[in-house]
Amino acid sequence: MKDDGTLPEPEKAELPIDDVGRLVDLLAESGIGQIRVKQGDLEITVKAKTEVLPARTLAEPSAAPVVTQPTVTPSAETVPEPGPAERNGGLHLVRSPVVGTFYRAPAPGEEYYVEVGDHVGVGQTLCIVEAMKLMNEILADVSGEVVEVLVENSKGVEYDQPLFRIRPEG
Amino acid sequence: MIGKILVANRGEVALRIIRACREIGIRSVAVYSTADADSLHRLLADEAICIGPPQATSSYLNIPAVISAAELSAADAIHPGYGFLAENARFAEICEACNIKFIGPTSSVIARMGDKASARRVAAAAGVPVTPGSDDVCRNAAEVKRVGAEVGYPLVIKASAGGGGKGMRVVSFEGEVDAAYVSASREAGAAFGDGSVYVERYLSELRHVEVQVLSDGRGRTAIFPERDCSVQRRYQKLVEESPAPDLPEAAREGMKDAAAALVDSLGYEGAGTVEFVYSGGEFYFIEMNTRLQVEHPVTEVVTGVDLVAEQISVASREGLSVAGSVPARGHGMEFRINAEDPRRNFLPQTGPVEFYNPPGGPGVRVDSHLYAGFKVVPYYDSLLAKLIVHAQTRDAVLRRGARALDEFAVAGLETTLPLHLAILEDEDFRRGGVPTTFLSERELKSDGRGLPRLAATGRPSA
Repeated sequence: MKDDGTLPEPEKAELPIDDVGRLVDLLAESGIGQIRVKQGDLEITVKAKTEVLPARTLAEPSAAPVVTQPTVTPSAETVPEPGPAERNGGLHLVRSPVVGTFYRAPAPGEEYYVEVGDHVGVGQTLCIVEAMKLMNEILADVSGEVVEVLVENSKGVEYDQPLFRIRPEG
Repeated sequence: MIGKILVANRGEVALRIIRACREIGIRSVAVYSTADADSLHRLLADEAICIGPPQATSSYLNIPAVISAAELSAADAIHPGYGFLAENARFAEICEACNIKFIGPTSSVIARMGDKASARRVAAAAGVPVTPGSDDVCRNAAEVKRVGAEVGYPLVIKASAGGGGKGMRVVSFEGEVDAAYVSASREAGAAFGDGSVYVERYLSELRHVEVQVLSDGRGRTAIFPERDCSVQRRYQKLVEESPAPDLPEAAREGMKDAAAALVDSLGYEGAGTVEFVYSGGEFYFIEMNTRLQVEHPVTEVVTGVDLVAEQISVASREGLSVAGSVPARGHGMEFRINAEDPRRNFLPQTGPVEFYNPPGGPGVRVDSHLYAGFKVVPYYDSLLAKLIVHAQTRDAVLRRGARALDEFAVAGLETTLPLHLAILEDEDFRRGGVPTTFLSERELKSDGRGLPRLAATGRPSA
């Protein structure tokens, strides 16, 4: 922004080559599959050769640092853990951050949070893992399609146990 | 009746409990952190549940995770082992509230004996000798001086909330009291958020002697032969033996009677250990550990009683198989094999165990979770194995211990094995009855032939 608070006029003809270079570097460093930047009329998409993780949209090219995986750990523990989600043959695994009981619905008799084939967005509730009467909502850390639910409703799950397979969106 | 026990621990003690369960015919559930995925306790238990990441605070000390694992596996009891949650009164209380049998005393007994000043009062009320000193907290230096006039100097000022030497000051005469009181209280306040201190007579040369007890909580109590645990480094026991060598009969019997009186006054249930210091013919209560101890196998080999099985039996309301004063048969000694380098200031060792060959033969027992290929991780304590030897006499134990230590092969990391061999060669140790300063006055050296020997610190090896 300029000092008077107005947005600068988009410079239609010129491509910000320096910024594109920075995006390429960022992509390489982060291991993210694709970065899409929008500013005014200009939209730049930088894609890695092999898709690794879903795209992230940045507000501005200078809005670094790019966030890495959002964590879905509902417990207060902040120790370095194996990622709750990871790649698995191009699919993304969501793992349980606690020992407890796996529930697919908010309450008995209610509809499941998600079904196979559903599209989920980052931050969407996938299930609950209950530990000592505490309901821990497990959130999606990628957007994509739910390919498989790995645990039966109301069964016990261990710490780090895979719960869902999600096909990330490119 | 107990049908399934969750073992809320890891390492050798988790194995010890799982083994007892298997012999009794009770199903066992192991809990483990991701760092212990390849551990024997996970593999040998009937069921196993991963409860968290490597850090103990998120796994073995994580009460909701442990309770959830017990509920998921439908375990009706939890054995806490030693360390971790074993003396956590809150955990015991949560077990009680969740209708899971905590194998040990009630949460209120754990709480009463867990606080130093409270335990001292309980012991004194039961007629157990406590170190001469203040009855309660000293509110100012004048009170410390009054105690000094009564019991004599040197005195030690200790933090009531404390431990680990913090807020502790030794005063040799009255003139030192004012400054020492202020600094001890300030240090205690900074370390524990509670500046209250109490004072005791300072005992300079002492031995650590303890009495193992077992009670069904309904008046039936067994008192075991005392153990001597004076070979320590920074309050960490390294060698324990039973009976204590060179101890007057009156002191031996006195400690056992005192332990029995304390247990009866508490209505204690389960296994516990009453610890004393022995100095100049007198003994004084230090604390009570309301759990199974690391060195419990020493007592098992000299009495033939399976302490873990008895704990489970008491918890199941099936009672004790022994009562009264249990006699010692022969002599027992335990050596703690730790992943520490005794030649480099006990530097902790981590990494894979490349070769592992524990000793065997008559009178030898090894409690360990090691195997070749096992990776020692930095998250937990350094205990790798306990070697326990038993023989008819102490002399025979010394020979058998040296033979077994010599056979004991652990490659890939440094251990305390050479230190133990050197201890067994030390003249004072061989005579028996060394004070707790024994190890701090000595260091590990090699003799002319490269054999490990102890030498007085600061002086060249003879």
